[in-house]
Amino acid sequence: METFESFLTIGLGHYLTVSVILFCLGVLGLLTRRNLIVVYMSLELMLNAANLALVAFSYFNKSLDGQVVVMLVVTIAAAEVAVGLALIVSLARKKLPVWVNDLNKLKY
Amino acid sequence: MLLTTILLIPLLGALLVLTIPANFRVLHRGVAIFATGLSAILSLFLLFGFQTGVEGYQFVHKVAWVPSIGLNYHVGVDGINLGLVIMAAWVSFAAALVSYEIKKQDKLYYSLLLLMCGGVIGTFASLDIIFFYAMHELALIPTFIMIGVWGRGEKRVYAAFQMAIYLSIGAMIVLAGLICLYAGAGAKTFDMQELAAICAAEPMSLPLQKWAIPTLLLGFGILVGLVPFHTWAPLTYSSAPSAPAMIHAGVLKKFGLYGIIRLILPLMPQELHPWMEILVVMALVNAIYCGFIAIRQKCFAMMCSYSSLSHVGFIFLGIAVLNNLALTGAVFLMVAHGFLAALLFALNGWLHQQTGGTAMANMGGLMQKMPFIGFIMSATLLAGCGLPFFGNFVGEFLILFGAWQSAWHWPAALGVFTGLIISAVYMLRAIRQVLHGQSPAELSGVVDANAWRKLPYALLIAGLLAIGTWPMLLTGKMKEAVSQTLEPVNSLTVQDQINTPSE
Amino acid sequence: MTNILLAILFLPILSAAAITLFTLRRPTVSAGISIGSCCLTFILSVLLYRGAVSQGLPLEISFTWLSVGALSVELGFLVDRLSLLMLLVVTGIGSLIHIYSRGYMQGDPSNSRYFAGLSIFMFSMTGIILANNLLMIFVFWEMVGLSSYLLIGFWMTKPSAADAGKKAFLCNRIGDTGFLLGIIILWGTLGTLGFSQINSLLAANPAALGSWTTLVGLLLFCGVVGKSAQFPLHVWLPDAMEGPTPVSALIHAATMVAAGVYLLARAFAIFSLPAAWPESLAWFNFSALEAVAFTGALTALLAALIAVQQNDIKRILAYSTLSQLGYMVMAVGIAYPVAGMYHLTTHAFFKALLFLGAGSVIVALHHEQNIWKMGGLLKRMPITFFTFLVGTLALCGVPPLSGFFSKDAIIAQAFSKSTCLGTISVGVAFLTTFYMGRLFFVAFMGKARSQSAEKSQETPPVMTYPLILLAIAAVFAGFWNVDTWMMRHYGLEPESAGWFAKLLYPFEHAPMAALLSLAAVACGAVLAYKLYYNAKQDVLPSQLGSVARWLKDKFYLDELYENTLIWCQDKFALVCDKFDRWIIGGALVGTVYHGVELIGRLWRLSQTGSVQTYAAIFVFGFVVLAYWVVNW
Repeated sequence: METFESFLTIGLGHYLTVSVILFCLGVLGLLTRRNLIVVYMSLELMLNAANLALVAFSYFNKSLDGQVVVMLVVTIAAAEVAVGLALIVSLARKKLPVWVNDLNKLKY
Repeated sequence: MLLTTILLIPLLGALLVLTIPANFRVLHRGVAIFATGLSAILSLFLLFGFQTGVEGYQFVHKVAWVPSIGLNYHVGVDGINLGLVIMAAWVSFAAALVSYEIKKQDKLYYSLLLLMCGGVIGTFASLDIIFFYAMHELALIPTFIMIGVWGRGEKRVYAAFQMAIYLSIGAMIVLAGLICLYAGAGAKTFDMQELAAICAAEPMSLPLQKWAIPTLLLGFGILVGLVPFHTWAPLTYSSAPSAPAMIHAGVLKKFGLYGIIRLILPLMPQELHPWMEILVVMALVNAIYCGFIAIRQKCFAMMCSYSSLSHVGFIFLGIAVLNNLALTGAVFLMVAHGFLAALLFALNGWLHQQTGGTAMANMGGLMQKMPFIGFIMSATLLAGCGLPFFGNFVGEFLILFGAWQSAWHWPAALGVFTGLIISAVYMLRAIRQVLHGQSPAELSGVVDANAWRKLPYALLIAGLLAIGTWPMLLTGKMKEAVSQTLEPVNSLTVQDQINTPSE
Repeated sequence: MTNILLAILFLPILSAAAITLFTLRRPTVSAGISIGSCCLTFILSVLLYRGAVSQGLPLEISFTWLSVGALSVELGFLVDRLSLLMLLVVTGIGSLIHIYSRGYMQGDPSNSRYFAGLSIFMFSMTGIILANNLLMIFVFWEMVGLSSYLLIGFWMTKPSAADAGKKAFLCNRIGDTGFLLGIIILWGTLGTLGFSQINSLLAANPAALGSWTTLVGLLLFCGVVGKSAQFPLHVWLPDAMEGPTPVSALIHAATMVAAGVYLLARAFAIFSLPAAWPESLAWFNFSALEAVAFTGALTALLAALIAVQQNDIKRILAYSTLSQLGYMVMAVGIAYPVAGMYHLTTHAFFKALLFLGAGSVIVALHHEQNIWKMGGLLKRMPITFFTFLVGTLALCGVPPLSGFFSKDAIIAQAFSKSTCLGTISVGVAFLTTFYMGRLFFVAFMGKARSQSAEKSQETPPVMTYPLILLAIAAVFAGFWNVDTWMMRHYGLEPESAGWFAKLLYPFEHAPMAALLSLAAVACGAVLAYKLYYNAKQDVLPSQLGSVARWLKDKFYLDELYENTLIWCQDKFALVCDKFDRWIIGGALVGTVYHGVELIGRLWRLSQTGSVQTYAAIFVFGFVVLAYWVVNW
């Protein structure tokens, strides 16, 4: 009974579980989706999964360190999106495909 | 300061050449000749200002650079590198003089050549192992570019890459060994003098020596062309333009030999003997095997390259028998061979310009066509087979006497055989094929050098003759430095003899 | 004294330098410089002789040339009876030949080079003579090799001349290998190379060289074998006749080839030590001197036999030189260097005379050297004829000419040591007379056998005066007390005698040897007269068959060396070359090179270009890593 109650009380484990699920979704999306934009979104999903974990740790450990890191991640993510989306847009403008499979110029 | 001046002049010259616009071709050449000539003349002041009979380094110039790791700019000469520095300066001058054969991109060429000249002088003047190493690289990299851009023949790019890869690997191995030394001494110093003092006070740990000696030997061996790591040399020298071939074969190649003398012998005497015994065998293999290969060569440049490898074997022998006489001879031969190799490749350049190739079978009777060059070539080739009154003879017999004195009887005997017979066979064959006999009709356009172009040959042969007729000029100054270098090993040997009961 | 010595040594090299640097285009001036310097050294040598005799012998002066640790090489002069004799012979004959060269080389475009070469030779030769230590001898030994090389190959556009020079140099180098090794061992055991020190050390302790004794002797003898062209390294000397004739006279007859005998006499203390071999070679058990004696005898016999069937006038003389050198070497080998040096001196005179005479004939006949195209020279070239006759008689050993005395000294000593050697030496005397008679009857007597012989004229005085002077020397040298001079050098007390007693001395002292050698001469002369006087062609080949062919083809020794030593060397070089090219350069370097390339080729297959594949690999790697970290 007690275990069930503690299961119902939302604790660190719940947050982490959600975070892991989100992260796995992100990874799967990254590996399987073909559209660059969706790949990008999956990437963001992974970052945010990490953010969620960081915030949860921060809350349960009574320390602000985690939140500081989250701020950093958000900033980097924003910068990254700015560059990445710009690349995608310029690809689209040149009427080049935005499908991952077709971007294989780095092959031997 | 004098040494610093000598080695900075060419480097500054290189910068100056870069600032001169590309169409002032005479100026590029002028700056190169002036800079190398000036440092060559200044180098004579080293010779005459050197105090004989004084231990330690002279003309020292030391500036702290990165004190936290013990890195200094530190140059100086003692008996061992005095001759090498002077030889380097004069060979550089001669190399600048023979560079009239270059017809394109003079600006780049002369700046690279001057870098190379500064580098080789710096290599032998440095007393700090990082500078020693870096100066060698500074001279090496221009060689790569020069062979690739101004080289001869179809295979020049391949040759340039082969050389660069071989020598970079050799240099990397040397660097690893040098780091071993630095770490092993544990005194945060890159200074050769201080390292020697530390190792004399407290020997380096034996396991470290066991690893550092073969590492350094391997690295230096690759750089010098010890069999079987020698195949880069013939191809490189036959593809390179005259000047880099002269500087590389004459001067830069001595880096490895000099490194063994400076860094292995005095610093790690305890584990030296087994490796030196191996080196004696390797040296003889070099001398005899490469000598026999030289006999078969059809191309003059290839023959010169293999003969140079054979002579290097002699120098190795002189180092490996660990004897004062032989080491004196080895250092002497390094200087003499510097002049000799430079002459050979300068002559090769002349032949190549005049006949359009270096295959000896296509030549003949050139003594009639070009008496001066023919005379110099005969003298050089005869000097190469150990004719008295040329420097090589003195170096070789000192090495042989030293080898015998150290009870290396059979190497001495084989050395006599190599020095007197094998070298004579290929050198005389070259004279016979190139200079004697009838000249074929295709070579009717061959001409002798004019007054200005005679100068480099005359200078180099004068150098060979000067040290050959008056060897005390160098040997007299070497005594202290040589005995200091071998002192650690010799004192050990004496102890061994005390410890082991005599028969 | 020191100044005179330095001048004698350095004048020739200075003149060579002057010619090379300044007067290459002025042959007359070059000839003047060279002849002047040589005559001046002769005059200085005479002054030295007078000064040294009055000051007392021996005289030693030395400067340090190179001193490193225990090794000290000196530029040292040792003036004693031996070196004075040799110096006078060399500079005297050298001067005459220099003067003669002026006529012989008239009009050759490379005159200056020729005289520069001669001057280098004079420098090197005086160096050998005056040296007071072995290493200095070795240095100049190499230098005479060089000058010989330069002068044999003087007409370098001629392939045979260029090859001959090369062959001479290499044969000498083979000998010098032993020589240098001997010097090194000697220094390693005795610690000194000076002759005076060696002599006193060995006198104090004959076993000072220990087990090296005989080996050192034999190794030093190798140098002699090379330089003095003894069997088996004699093959270079006949080929050396490709050089100009005065060169053959000076270098390859009178002086340089005799340097080996000089070395034997000089270092006699080392050679004369009793046999002592290292343990492992003990079964050899012969002494160095025995080897020397038998090498000399064998060379004398072999060369005399070959000379019988040669047709080139210079080659006959060359083999004759070989044979006489064999005598000299044998003389030292039978422990009587006095006779060796005596024969060296007289031989220098009459052999130089013969070569110069031959040169005179060659010039008169426009470079014809085949004796079967000469003949009838008595009327046309009387001076050459008579001087050559004198030389021939002296060489054959007809009393009272000089050759008789020196040769008899050797033969007498040979009989007293071993009958075998004595017989050989008498046999060689017979052969000598026979081939010289053949040469003389065919080339000088009878009728002219070719057009050029018919039109020949006597050569100019610059060539005939040296002939006359040398002929005088060849006649009277037997009375110049060379033998007593040399005996005093070796500490023997000669019997003083007037010239008539001198003439009779051989018959009183060892009558059998003297009579035997006279009989041999007579037989040889008669046989040669019978076979060759007025002969149209050589009758020996038809009578002797294959023997004559073997003699004519020099016992096929050149071919033997060609097919053994040179073949081996060439094949070994070939193997090395191929090994280097295909095994080291091809297989080893190729394996590394292609191996690296292959790995690269394989590895780049993983570069698919698909970002998601990379990401998948990355994720996979991360999972593995994470699993490993967590479970560790």
